[in-house]
Amino acid sequence: MKKSTIGILAMAALIFNACKNDEVNNVVVNPNDFNVAVSGKIVTVKNLAADTILGVGAMGPYGAGKYTFFSLGTNSKIASTDSATSNWDLAFAGTTIRINAGTSGPGNGGAFVYTGTFDALTTVPIDSTFKIDQAPTYAITKGSGKGWYNYDGPTNLLTAIPGRVLVIRTASGKYAKVEILNYYRGNTTPLSTASDSIKIYDSRYYSFRYTYQTDGTTTF
Amino acid sequence: MKSISQTILLLFLSMSLFAQQDTTSALFSSMEEVVITATKTETKLGNVTMPISIISKKNIDQAGSLRLKDILQEQAGLSITNGFGAGIQMQGLNPDYTLILLNGAPLVGRTAGVLDLKRIGITNIKKIEIVKGPSSSLYGSEAMAGVINIITENNGDKKIQFGARYGFGNPNLGWASPIGKSVFKNSDLNFLFITKYKKAALNFSSNAFYVDAISFRPYSSERITQPIWQFTNQLSISTPINNKNNFTFLVRNGYDQIKQNFAINNNGAVSTSFGKETNNDLNINSIYKHSFNENIKSSLNVYATFYKGYQKLNFSNKPDSSYIDEFRQHLYRAENQNDVRLKNMLFTFGAGYVIDQAHSTRYDNVESRKQNQILYAFAQHEWTLSKKLILTTGVRYDHNKIFAAAFSPKFSFRYIANKTITIKGSIGRGFKAPDFRQLYLNFTNNAAGGYSVLGSIDAIKIIQQMQSLGQISEIKYDYNKLSTLKPEFSTGINLGGTVFLNKNIQLDFNGFRNDIEGLIDVRQVATKLNGAQIFSYINIKNAYTQGLELDLKWKATKQISISTGYQLLETADKDELANIKAGKVYIRNADGTSRLLLLKEYVGLANRSNHMGNVKITYENKYGLFINTRLIYKSQWYVGDRDGNGLLNKNDESGDGYFLINVAAGKDLNTKLKLNIGMDNVTNYQDVNYLPNLSGRMIYLSINYTLK
Repeated sequence: MKKSTIGILAMAALIFNACKNDEVNNVVVNPNDFNVAVSGKIVTVKNLAADTILGVGAMGPYGAGKYTFFSLGTNSKIASTDSATSNWDLAFAGTTIRINAGTSGPGNGGAFVYTGTFDALTTVPIDSTFKIDQAPTYAITKGSGKGWYNYDGPTNLLTAIPGRVLVIRTASGKYAKVEILNYYRGNTTPLSTASDSIKIYDSRYYSFRYTYQTDGTTTF
Repeated sequence: MKSISQTILLLFLSMSLFAQQDTTSALFSSMEEVVITATKTETKLGNVTMPISIISKKNIDQAGSLRLKDILQEQAGLSITNGFGAGIQMQGLNPDYTLILLNGAPLVGRTAGVLDLKRIGITNIKKIEIVKGPSSSLYGSEAMAGVINIITENNGDKKIQFGARYGFGNPNLGWASPIGKSVFKNSDLNFLFITKYKKAALNFSSNAFYVDAISFRPYSSERITQPIWQFTNQLSISTPINNKNNFTFLVRNGYDQIKQNFAINNNGAVSTSFGKETNNDLNINSIYKHSFNENIKSSLNVYATFYKGYQKLNFSNKPDSSYIDEFRQHLYRAENQNDVRLKNMLFTFGAGYVIDQAHSTRYDNVESRKQNQILYAFAQHEWTLSKKLILTTGVRYDHNKIFAAAFSPKFSFRYIANKTITIKGSIGRGFKAPDFRQLYLNFTNNAAGGYSVLGSIDAIKIIQQMQSLGQISEIKYDYNKLSTLKPEFSTGINLGGTVFLNKNIQLDFNGFRNDIEGLIDVRQVATKLNGAQIFSYINIKNAYTQGLELDLKWKATKQISISTGYQLLETADKDELANIKAGKVYIRNADGTSRLLLLKEYVGLANRSNHMGNVKITYENKYGLFINTRLIYKSQWYVGDRDGNGLLNKNDESGDGYFLINVAAGKDLNTKLKLNIGMDNVTNYQDVNYLPNLSGRMIYLSINYTLK
């Protein structure tokens, strides 16, 4: 019931938007679709599917177990056949975010989680230490309250902590800052009262924004 | 706090300008009413040194209230909370911190700290007294926000009385109609019998109540009806043995049965579960009073109460298994109290012994008995310095067997500034002992990802055991803080008073502040190998609640009276506040990007409305007709952290502020027959997500027949 209401609302919003935007351009973005938008130095990615849930088994919800690879330099997804190359910078599956280095890939990557706002981080602090992936430990720390997210068992909801920036050294050794915006489809966290199936099947859709420094310096 | 004290000062000033010197009215004479709960001795309302309010039998009848929840939700400054049954929030404190008494003895059977007020029938009671502010100096644990004392009629005139009520609503259709599939019905039958033999009084009452309660399917917004049957039987015998000795015996039994049938969604797999829940309460109280002479009185009170909550569910997809949830609590108490009057001083002192026992399927083993013994002593000194000034000083010491002792002092005063202005103030300590759940819980929720909550006594042991079996993936920082729980303490200040603006307008006001230390909160202490979290209880939080209460009674004409109440409330978690001030907390904008949280965006503790109020207009004539309208308002309250910063701020998940309007009318057809009709929730207000138990518009009709 709830879902269909949301659906109708979303459709209404779409039609409304469509009417409004028709004269300007014909691009109508479904808020639930994968989308990359560039605005100045900031690139915003919406709904990057990261091993989304296929079903619920005895051990809980499961996906296909495949990572989604992304290149910060080209602003695009990279085919998983390129996983052993330096073409990608970040790989997403569930709450795990890998960088292209160490046990994860052949690249020159590195990362750490910075506390502060995206805008305030204008240059990578000199005393920063970039970590690399050494499975099962990752440069972008996993676990509730440790890296970029909080998970609440009783409400079964995962929220990206505001004021956390992933500082990334890309596969090719350039620098980028990434802010995770949301972990759920449509860039919207479900209500705590939403059904478990909404919370499960709408999860693992990353929305994030980033700034990539093409000249290789640590200033954004 | 500053702003509140300034407001109070301003009120004082403005009121002393208004105040006039006329002292003959019904409002003034209400100050003569005798109350018991504030000082544990019979005291005139006008002499009580702390905020107290009384809900009379007449108020309850005219509001058509059947359960304790119904009438408390119409009082300003009291808010009904919705998790684990209907709980009471007083002065912004959770339901765990208000002590609920029946004739001065505590009611037990709390689920997750909440005593479900829907369980308590109030059709045959004399009155309810509500004392606000810490009262642990007299009552011990739980009396941190205040005390609600339900006082039953143990005497009264000889009579037999029958009552019946039928109500219905059709919230989905809007206008209530008694026909159709989606009708919610309720009915109530009531019987009261009072007889006298010489000077002894026997009072028996019986009540049966049926309601199609509205609940919601867990983790969904789909409403379901949940038929509830509730039965209450009450017997009291009160007899003067001679002119110096008096004996009262009270026994009360409450029984509810709740039928359950709903679909549950376990990680996407839906199954139907069905079964029933029963709650059984028994209270036995005997009070023996002896007067040595006019100035020295003594009483002995022996009390036992038993509670059993039992739930059994079967599942459609697993026919051979069932889920059983059982909780039993037994409490035995013996208490002696002595009142000695010496000129202008009244000394009250006493001591008592409590045995508190619990069993639960949610502890390690339902057969293992958890027990606490409490030995306590209290003393109070009430000093009438002059007709104007009364000072009351009290202290209580509770020695607990399984956790630290508690020491609760309190000081209060009442000062009559002039014929129209009375000022009251109090400062006191309150405490709440850790409950059995916080000490012994051993609960794993397999229906929601397998997270576990462990009581503090067993948590370390269980986690170490799991660790040696390789079942723990991670120990959290808070694990090191696990230790024997201490009681939670608060310091409460109340300052207010009563002003007669003229002989027909009475204004009561009170400013309050409660500082709570070592609040017990659930924290994650470890993670299992499969990623599921393990939580336990730690004395970790410090919080405050503060606010202002106003209560205005206006006798507009001989027939019309208007009363209105308001509460302003501010709350905060002190550590959260410190983090915000230190610039460590961020917030998300609507587009998901983050920035620093501003102090003004912080909203404090969950489930608190900043503003609450009510207006009640009553018309009553000498022919036994009454009509009333009651309006209840609650402003927005916050429920969940949506932006991931771990605290509540203005863009987090919240319930919308709302108005409820209830109306009722009644007429005494003759000396025997009384008719009442009423409509609750006239505007059919509903909020499925945040007020799941609020049914839509309901209409009822009741009839009462009395034989004298």
